[in-house]
Amino acid sequence: MTQKMQPDTRSRSQRKVPIMPAVDFPHGARVEVQVGRVHIAVFNINGEYFALYGRCPHQSAPLSRGRLQGTVICSEETCWETKWVHDGEVLVCPGHGMEYHVRSGKAFGYDLKLRTYEVVVEEGQVTLVL
Amino acid sequence: MESDGPLVKVRKVEASYNPVQDEDLDQFGKELSELTIVDVDVHVDDTLMFMLDYMEGHFRKRLETVLQADFKGEPGNSLRNMIAHIAWLGSSYDKPPRAKLAAKEDLLARMEKGIIDYSILFPSELLPIGYLPEPEWAASLAKAYNQYMVDAYQNTKGVKIAIVVAPQHPASAAEEIDRHASHPDVVSVCLPDVGVNPPIGDEKYEPIYAAAARHSLPISFHGIEALIHDNYPLRVAHFHTLMQVNSMGFPFTSMLQIMSVVCAGIPVRFPNLKFAVLEAGLTWMPFIMYRLDAAYLRYRTELPALEKKPSEYIRDWYIGTHELEALPRRGDLVKLIELYQGQDTTMWASDWPHLERDLIAGFMRYEMDETLRRKILGENALEFFGLTPPK
Ligand code: FES
Repeated sequence: MTQKMQPDTRSRSQRKVPIMPAVDFPHGARVEVQVGRVHIAVFNINGEYFALYGRCPHQSAPLSRGRLQGTVICSEETCWETKWVHDGEVLVCPGHGMEYHVRSGKAFGYDLKLRTYEVVVEEGQVTLVL
Repeated sequence: MESDGPLVKVRKVEASYNPVQDEDLDQFGKELSELTIVDVDVHVDDTLMFMLDYMEGHFRKRLETVLQADFKGEPGNSLRNMIAHIAWLGSSYDKPPRAKLAAKEDLLARMEKGIIDYSILFPSELLPIGYLPEPEWAASLAKAYNQYMVDAYQNTKGVKIAIVVAPQHPASAAEEIDRHASHPDVVSVCLPDVGVNPPIGDEKYEPIYAAAARHSLPISFHGIEALIHDNYPLRVAHFHTLMQVNSMGFPFTSMLQIMSVVCAGIPVRFPNLKFAVLEAGLTWMPFIMYRLDAAYLRYRTELPALEKKPSEYIRDWYIGTHELEALPRRGDLVKLIELYQGQDTTMWASDWPHLERDLIAGFMRYEMDETLRRKILGENALEFFGLTPPK
């Protein structure tokens, strides 16, 4: 079925999409949510939920299947020393390895940011806010 | 879980430690299943252990020794690991997913999706064969590989084989071509293009071109990370990082080999011989074509065999799309292909299942008319490899 699905553009009106009971979505679990034609990857990392746009802009690999690890940075902040950072919060694309910070959606080394979504737990349900 | 908005689906998933495969095909399944799809660069598990049964005498003993070796935790039975990856071991912190070797069942499962009509198998393990300093050893490995591949993959629907030859032993390379060329599942001869010395257009290799021409077997140049060689055309010492070696190694090697073959007048001597170049991307094609043309103006007398400009020979070369560059705009690929006049010569290649393989979404994101898309996805490859149209 490939019927055209417009993204929900109703201004300001937030749409809440319950995903599953929080008890079924523990630390370390991940879920792929498809809303219309949009895929969203949702992770539980140490009790915190993160949701990002679920397809890699490079060649569309499913980001929900990416590993979570750290990465190296080297910047003015690190006095141009290479440092291992964000251990457990860097989503590595299972396609070819682009890396995204799950908190911000920012791609390391690219001028690119994935859309992120708010996740709340309401009445025991992990819920996406779109 | 339905509401008044768009349909919502929720699925629990696991992290993937190998690169995700084939889901990309499913994504475009409908659109693609109508078309002829030829994947011109596919790799299966061809590690050296499979060749043991095909080796004889002292070389068999030698391969047994190789299979027992262990290099810093990398499997010792991998020629590529032995000479390619040690220098940069761990430099990516395991960031890219580990490339999984594809067993025959994996290949069959991919073919059974009914999307890909032909997969052309190219060597993995023996791609650096041109680097081996001992011609006899290299030739015996190539011979074992070819027979193993034919035995293991012949009569498999939609699967075709490119045999490999050891350029440093032209006589035995020609024999291999003579041996396998008439096999219906052998569709090309792969000339590994790194490490060879002298360059591949040299007079020394004439028996290889003559044999391929005799059998109308097209020649495919297939690159490999150029880091492994210590001589032509680039030296490891030129680069500090694997990324630099990888990105420059493939196209530079390809450009140098094309230049060498064309300037040696091989396309003039063997006008029916077809050539392809794989795994080097596309963007450098206009550069080498028109750069050579510019110099040809002044130095034509050095190449008296040529009957037309270098670009007019090179535009006849077929070229695999992998590793497809991500150009900024969706219309850019068509512009690039127009520049190198590659409408009839560009062939979709995935490099499946290697880490750097292209997912088909990478190609489908480019806009082009349907005629050109059909040519690139299959029709040009049918022509190059002489395959029967599947439908
Ligand atoms: S698809 Fe994500 S890095 Fe290629």
